[in-house]
Amino acid sequence: MTATNSAADSQDVIVIENLNKWYGNFHVLRDINLKVKKGERIVICGPSGSGKSTTIRCINRLEEFQEGSLVVDGVEMIEDVKNIEKIRRDVGMVFQHFNLFPHLTILENLTLGPIWVQKKPKAEAEEIAMKYLERVKIPDQADKYPGQLSGGQQQRVAIARSLCMNPNIMLFDEPTSALDPEMIKEVLDVMVELAEEGMTMLCVTHEMGFAKKVADRVIFMDAGQIVEENEPNEFFNNPQNERTKLFLSQILGH
Amino acid sequence: MKEFQPIAARQAPIKTVGFTAWLRDNLFSSIPNSVVTLSVIALLAYYLPLVFDWVFWSANFTGTTEDACVKEGACWVFINAWSYQFFYGTYPVEEVWRINLTLVLLVMVIAASFTLPKSIRLKASITSWLLLPIVGIAILDGRWLGLEVVSTDLWGGFTLNVFMAAASIIVAFPFSFLWALGRRSEMPFIRSVSVIFIEFFRGVPVLSLFFMGSVMLPLFFAEGTNVDKLIRVWLVLIFFMSGYMAEVFRGGFQAVPSGQYEAADSIGLSYWQKILLIILPQVIKVSMPNILATFVMLFKNTTFLLIIGIPEVVQTLQTALSNSYWLGGHALEGYLFVFLVFWGSCFSMSVLARRIERQMNTDKRD
Repeated sequence: MTATNSAADSQDVIVIENLNKWYGNFHVLRDINLKVKKGERIVICGPSGSGKSTTIRCINRLEEFQEGSLVVDGVEMIEDVKNIEKIRRDVGMVFQHFNLFPHLTILENLTLGPIWVQKKPKAEAEEIAMKYLERVKIPDQADKYPGQLSGGQQQRVAIARSLCMNPNIMLFDEPTSALDPEMIKEVLDVMVELAEEGMTMLCVTHEMGFAKKVADRVIFMDAGQIVEENEPNEFFNNPQNERTKLFLSQILGH
Repeated sequence: MKEFQPIAARQAPIKTVGFTAWLRDNLFSSIPNSVVTLSVIALLAYYLPLVFDWVFWSANFTGTTEDACVKEGACWVFINAWSYQFFYGTYPVEEVWRINLTLVLLVMVIAASFTLPKSIRLKASITSWLLLPIVGIAILDGRWLGLEVVSTDLWGGFTLNVFMAAASIIVAFPFSFLWALGRRSEMPFIRSVSVIFIEFFRGVPVLSLFFMGSVMLPLFFAEGTNVDKLIRVWLVLIFFMSGYMAEVFRGGFQAVPSGQYEAADSIGLSYWQKILLIILPQVIKVSMPNILATFVMLFKNTTFLLIIGIPEVVQTLQTALSNSYWLGGHALEGYLFVFLVFWGSCFSMSVLARRIERQMNTDKRD
């Protein structure tokens, strides 16, 4: 562990320092530095291929990186599998394509982690699962299979599945990009509620309304680096970088 | 403001449904199509009565010897007289309950995999499937249970085909899954061993494997050890089957989206939890049609065992055909019987597989 890490604010739950990643010879992440405080809500935006998904996927080690350091909840990410699994239990993730397990019912999708990873008894796991299904407002779908639910419902189940593991940090990887317009709102509502309860959140999203409403900080990435970060008001009304201005004019222009 | 009014659903026009519509669409949709339909009907009208006459009207059903076959139709007396051997080989008659018991156990394990309560179904059926070959051998052979020992030389007939196929499939199934996993492994040693194994057993004719099993394999065993011929053939069938099945599973693995692995990782499942709880069920689901095809292929391949002198059903039939009391030329009846028995078994397997597919299909909205 480096000196800067130990000097980091104890409130920081994620500390990324000089993170570099290559796919073969392609330099996808370049000198990423990012600190996230407990309870902070961060929105990451940027054009496709800018490395925003890759960045948050590094946090729970779905992606490996070659240089730099990454500390989550005080645990440094190294090759050790134990650390990886420990961090994955602490960090929930919601995917663009939901990735529910199609051969399991909604309830089984939710209880899988608590039963197999946290070794909770089945009854307790089901109780927890029903609590979160109620929170995302679909307790009546518990015995159905993912294929029988609408996209919005599936994404809410995916959020509930992550919450069942009682994570300290939630990562959202374009959670509404695969949804019909009418279903985006129901998912965003759940996310806003979660934010209001003080969950530490990192969201890769292009829902600028969501960013303005809940984000503490908005980060703009392009070409594998962080171009600009600021609190939302400043970010949208007074972008400092030309590249940010161009991006904002393109997505807010119509 | 106007209120949105959905239009009520109506019945489909009569022209597109019903029997006559089906006839017109499928059999008489054009002039060439009608000609083909009519010619097929004419052919059937000519040949079917001849076939029926041979099989039923002028066939011989009663009697116990060749002499009973006086009518010019099929001599089913032949099948009847040899039916014991066709099914049980030369297994002692007073011990034949052991074969029947093993068959009943096989059917029970299959049935249990569908009917047990869902909470214990998976564990109970996997355990009973894996125990079945051992229990089966114990019952048929008898020495572990204190029963009279029946030498494997006496095992034979169609039940031997069934047992060889079932025992090989059951053991090969988990192995082939491991081979397929090995082939996807990132560790070069495991991957190359898997690739060599799979490609060897897929690339070599099964007949030559049987010869290797019966002639060459004993050379590798220590001096003085005598491994039973059926066990050697069983090993060959297991290797052959797992090579094929590994490729079937590999196709299945490729059909599972990477998001499934990521989701399993993200909730902190370990590697084996991820593979067994999340990936394997989905692999089996997409591979079901190919798994069945491989099963059927292996089951039918058990008839090749006659080449190395194992008295399975076709070998028994040939013995019967060359018996000096039955020289009336009953090959047609005999082979028809074998066709029927195999077709019946394979068709039941298809029906079963379709049921499994339906059960596993969770995509449909209800």
